[in-house]
Amino acid sequence: MNGWDLLAIGAWGVLLLKYWLTGQLAVLVHPNYFPLTIGAGLALVGVTGWQGWQRWRERGRPRLVPEGNALLPRSWSRFLLLSTAVVGLVVTPRPFNSQVALDSGELWSMTRTMPQRFRPVQRPEQRSLVDWVRLLNIYPEPDAYQGQRARVEGFVVHPPHSPAHRFFIARFVVTCCAADAYPVGLPVDTPGETAQRYPADTWVRVEGRMTSGEVQGKRRLILQAERITPIPPPANPYLY
Amino acid sequence: MPDTLNIFGTYRLRCMVAWQQGLTLFFSLLVEALPFLLLGVLFSSLLLLWVDPERLLQVLPRHPLAGAVAGAVLGCLLPVCECGNVPVARRLLTQGMPASVAVGFLLGAPTINPIVIWSTWVAFRDQPLMVWGRVLLTLAVAVVVGWVFSVQRDLRPFLQPAVAQAMAVPALQQPQREPALVGVQTGTFWAVAGGKTVPLSASGWQASRLLSRRGRWQLVWVNVLTELRELGGVLILGTAVAAAIQVLTPREVILGLGQGPVTSVVAMLVLGTVVSICSTVDAFFALSFAGSFTTGALLAFLVFGPMVDLKGVSLLLTVFRPRAVLYLFLLAASLTFVLTLAMNLYL
Repeated sequence: MNGWDLLAIGAWGVLLLKYWLTGQLAVLVHPNYFPLTIGAGLALVGVTGWQGWQRWRERGRPRLVPEGNALLPRSWSRFLLLSTAVVGLVVTPRPFNSQVALDSGELWSMTRTMPQRFRPVQRPEQRSLVDWVRLLNIYPEPDAYQGQRARVEGFVVHPPHSPAHRFFIARFVVTCCAADAYPVGLPVDTPGETAQRYPADTWVRVEGRMTSGEVQGKRRLILQAERITPIPPPANPYLY
Repeated sequence: MPDTLNIFGTYRLRCMVAWQQGLTLFFSLLVEALPFLLLGVLFSSLLLLWVDPERLLQVLPRHPLAGAVAGAVLGCLLPVCECGNVPVARRLLTQGMPASVAVGFLLGAPTINPIVIWSTWVAFRDQPLMVWGRVLLTLAVAVVVGWVFSVQRDLRPFLQPAVAQAMAVPALQQPQREPALVGVQTGTFWAVAGGKTVPLSASGWQASRLLSRRGRWQLVWVNVLTELRELGGVLILGTAVAAAIQVLTPREVILGLGQGPVTSVVAMLVLGTVVSICSTVDAFFALSFAGSFTTGALLAFLVFGPMVDLKGVSLLLTVFRPRAVLYLFLLAASLTFVLTLAMNLYL
């Protein structure tokens, strides 16, 4: 345990606190676990700061060295901790984008079971994107929702080989952290204009009515847009 | 020419997307896992000073099956991950712990303890099956392997010579000569305050008991930081592997492997052996594969990973001879394989 070790571990504490203070924590983990992360950040900064002060005050005294079973050479661990913390401090984590949503292939399949926290929302226009998808999971018949009003927010995805007047509006759903994020989405029809007017990854609010139609060879629920408004990307990009 | 440019442009765009996705994955896993690593390390450091494993030995059952069960659930009292429990097991073996308890403890304790169960629950909040499955399957594998090892009454041929020598010789074989010399210890000693002596070989618990209160706490903090550095380094490597696999492997390959009931389990067993993340946080690693691998495969990773992995083997070899490590590895691997495959096929 030398000064570099303290610096490397302390740097990770600073990184956790930086994510919290800049609001970037929302891009990485579910809000339920913010307190754990913040607590760990404070603890790491506190312990390393205190130990550093202690060492500085007692320079030259012999120190306790606990027996260790080195899994990695010491310098490696130190280097890994310090370098990743520096990268984390410099780079801003970005939420996943439309390309990731397309690659996952889950926009169409909707095979996930999403049992947690399902509460039917009475007024259709108050349903979020994930509320709609959960509802469809439970009762998939598109005709049941025919004519209902909808108002959802999300980012634009352009799947390949889709008709000129159609895009997908999508959000990522997170249970624990970004590692388990999966996309949910609805097809949106934009009558009278081409879907390419809205570039991929722009955040929009779509208001309109539900209809059904053919999407990738299957009959599915489609949101017939009446008004599409670009909105700024939300600080918290995920739904839960 | 424009076509080439276009292809190059698309390629660059995809690389950028992959890089950003990889970074977000990597840091989200680390940010979620670090608090749990810190908790695990804090616990194990506190135990180093305040729990007396020798006293535990007196209450442990001697019956092979009961002993294996007791060893496996001992982790609830000594919540240390696999890196922490090999030194503990080594120490307990030299104190005369029965083989079934020791093996049950080695295999079960890293998983069956409060912190690991909590972190697994956090990671798989919407799949309680993962939490129960992990605990029950680990218990089953640890107990069976512990039971099998208890057939070998005298474990010493399986142990490294240094550990075997440190073990108490069974009463029957103890030579009855030179009674006057019994109790006179030889070796190198520390001289400590109050005219007491501590053998050099006794480190950890015993030595720390002679320290002042302040010295003990100082030992706890230094131990916390040392373990954080070591396990943190391993965690970062493991997380980088997980993020790289997610981002670099084509989706079709992952799905092809991950959806087959047999291939998915085999792939995860191999991954569990290679990636040596601490059991406190390996649930988050498994989580990043949750969409693409079968439940049985994820459980195979969560059950087998903490028992035997590359990092663990080097630790196990400080206790057992290579042959015994191989038996442990094969027994645990085949049991995990059969149980999780059965889950995939029949559940």
